[in-house]
Amino acid sequence: MRGFWPILKRELVSLFVTPIAWLIMATFLFIEGLFFYFLVYGYSAATDVVVGMGPAEAFFGQSEFYYFPLVLICPVLTMRLFAEERRSGTIEALLTAPVTPTAVVLGKYFATLVVYVTMWAPTSLYMLILSSYGEIDWRLVATGYAGTLLVGAAYLAVGTLASALTTSQLAASMGATVFILAFFVMGYAARSFDDGTTRTMLEHVAVSSLMNDFSRGLVDSRRLVFWTTFAAVPLYAAIRTVESWRWG
Amino acid sequence: MIECRGLCKDYGAFRAVRDLTFSVAKGDVVGFLGPNGAGKSTTLRILAGFLGPTSGDVTINGYSITEDPIRAKSQLGYMPEAAPLYPELRVCEYLAYRAELKGVARAARKSAVSRVMEDAGLQGFERVLIGQLSKGYRQRVGLADALVASPPLLLLDEPTAGLDPNQIREVRGLFARLRDRHTIVVSTHILSEVEAMCSKNIVIARGELVAQGSLPEIRDLRRPRSVRIRVRGDASVAKKALTGLEGARLVTVDDGAGERRVEVTFDDPEVADATIERAVAALAAAKVGVLEVTPSSSLEQVFAELTALTRSKEQAAPGKKPKKEARA
Repeated sequence: MRGFWPILKRELVSLFVTPIAWLIMATFLFIEGLFFYFLVYGYSAATDVVVGMGPAEAFFGQSEFYYFPLVLICPVLTMRLFAEERRSGTIEALLTAPVTPTAVVLGKYFATLVVYVTMWAPTSLYMLILSSYGEIDWRLVATGYAGTLLVGAAYLAVGTLASALTTSQLAASMGATVFILAFFVMGYAARSFDDGTTRTMLEHVAVSSLMNDFSRGLVDSRRLVFWTTFAAVPLYAAIRTVESWRWG
Repeated sequence: MIECRGLCKDYGAFRAVRDLTFSVAKGDVVGFLGPNGAGKSTTLRILAGFLGPTSGDVTINGYSITEDPIRAKSQLGYMPEAAPLYPELRVCEYLAYRAELKGVARAARKSAVSRVMEDAGLQGFERVLIGQLSKGYRQRVGLADALVASPPLLLLDEPTAGLDPNQIREVRGLFARLRDRHTIVVSTHILSEVEAMCSKNIVIARGELVAQGSLPEIRDLRRPRSVRIRVRGDASVAKKALTGLEGARLVTVDDGAGERRVEVTFDDPEVADATIERAVAALAAAKVGVLEVTPSSSLEQVFAELTALTRSKEQAAPGKKPKKEARA
């Protein structure tokens, strides 16, 4: 893991000075702020609240407002990681330093994960606002964020791999978006099947199943295993890809 | 410092480097020569651990670049061709990052960065964004990067490409200072650089080793074919004096641009020295003042001949497929 920290720091500096990170965070918080506003507005306008969940649960995963920003933002965060370095040639300086491919991939990946977490951090204010006007189950909020972290970890890993596979940032971003979107669409696709193996399988891999459970405080180990794998496999593939450049 | 044995590198069906074997001793300043596309950059990239060899192996200071890449890479500072850098970072940020990446201890990092900034002539540029630097200064940052961890070995790929003559002179001055502390391998296709800097040379063409040794040794591989003599007075008198000289095939008078020169081409380059002596004696006998005698065996010529030699050898060898031109 030699080189992990300097690479992580360098990526963070580049993300914030270029200023992709700021742009992404501003866009994201604008959308989520809007979402939160509508959510609170909807709940306060409802005279007879009989729904099984409060606004905090609804915030995590009960709307396209939750998924679409992630589908769009994660690939943009990761698209430059390798594609840019290979296009500009800086990858040569990076890989001739005494660093391991694992450190290179993980350093870059965790830098985007830090931005992802930073981007979500201000939304905790929404929960504070809610708690000052009503009851909030903080355990549900915690699992909601845990699910969100799992989704981000997986999406960013896919994006990291996509960036390692091409020298074009655009191709990297689009490739990752299509892949991520496929897993999102499976949630919808599942509904069009009758009960059976196909439906069960689709439900298992759909991102909505994860967030439906986690936003309700249901930490299902099957989901935990699936989404951790979803993050680990692309990262492993990315490490092997970086190693393979030596032999190209 | 470097042991390179049987190195081959294939790009698909194209063999960029074939069976390259050489060694570089500690303290050498080695010029790595070859025309464009000869495989210089590929070889340096293998030495630096960026590319893996198809076969053969390289050890840097005793560590194999394929078996023990981390230790091997710790022994070297590599400056890629055109020194690619991150344009969004400031010079001092970049060098501090590179120092940390190369394992310079935190306490020593600041002094290491200021030392190499001074070495590379970058004082006053600490806070400048790399993207705003001119090409010459970007090269300097690349050089500073190669130096920052004080590696025993420096691998520099075309360090003077794209620099103006003043900058080239400065880089040479820097090498003169660095040679006491580092073993240096410099690739170039500009031979005057080698004449100015290197104690040993490795010439490759089409991925093959064609010659190695010190500069006089390489120059001795080819005798001068002709000599130019600058004379005082009338060049036609000099021409008359030299006509019929034994061993000289042709005498031309070059009186262009107001200079008076005669050019003597030798029949047999092996006895060139004797012919030069006779020519000067003949001129002295004719009372022509000899001002300058310049053998036209420039390194360029040696180089052209050496690399042409392998080409004709290759063409003579039957059953070989014609090769594609090397990519950059």
